[in-house]
Amino acid sequence: MISFTSSHHQAVDNFSFISETPLDLCAILSEAHHPEAGAVVLFSGEVRNHSHGKSVSYLDYEAFAPMANKIIAEIIGDANEKWKLNIALCKHRIGKVNICETAVIVITASAHRVEAYEANQYIIDRVKHEAPIWKKEFFSDGSYEWSHNCGCFNLG
Amino acid sequence: MQVQVFAMMKDYFDERFELDMNIKNIIDLSEKLIDINPKSKSLLPACRFAVNNEFIDQNYIFSDNDIIYIIPPSSGG
Repeated sequence: MISFTSSHHQAVDNFSFISETPLDLCAILSEAHHPEAGAVVLFSGEVRNHSHGKSVSYLDYEAFAPMANKIIAEIIGDANEKWKLNIALCKHRIGKVNICETAVIVITASAHRVEAYEANQYIIDRVKHEAPIWKKEFFSDGSYEWSHNCGCFNLG
Repeated sequence: MQVQVFAMMKDYFDERFELDMNIKNIIDLSEKLIDINPKSKSLLPACRFAVNNEFIDQNYIFSDNDIIYIIPPSSGG
């Protein structure tokens, strides 16, 4: 079972949010149901075939796993504090991820949809900006580039 | 002390290396790293630093046995 309820925060500490193997959305979703939840929201962050006007072949993700796990656990804990959630989970791939494959999945479930939608967006926004995970974009022309999610620095 | 870098910082430094000179905090460390590779100058101010899986700030004083992790801006998702 990979889901967490708000009464099981301690379980998060022992869970790996980082996956070296492909994320099976259907398998993960099949376990993300809860008798008190009338809404289940699934976000799948997928690899698209273009970036910065260039054709993308694939992405390669790297993580500092110990801290990524810790930070994602904190983010999920914070989401559980802010909303009444029956399920809140996140899994992020590392390694090579091909076009149309899932790089990150967030599932939230709650009694009604507003909480599940809001919490889901909160989790993915913070995971993208705070978890020490990085993507390297490999382009069709053979070049590559480390991506960055914000304009807080410029490599010039 | 040992230093480990990630992602785009590996374009500028070995993934893991040792520094044994007198470096007491992240200000000294950043200056030293810019000396070693001036190309890191624009990226370093955007990086976070961590020891023992905790982020540190400039008030943290390094110990000889510390492994300092230099964490560039995240680009997950």
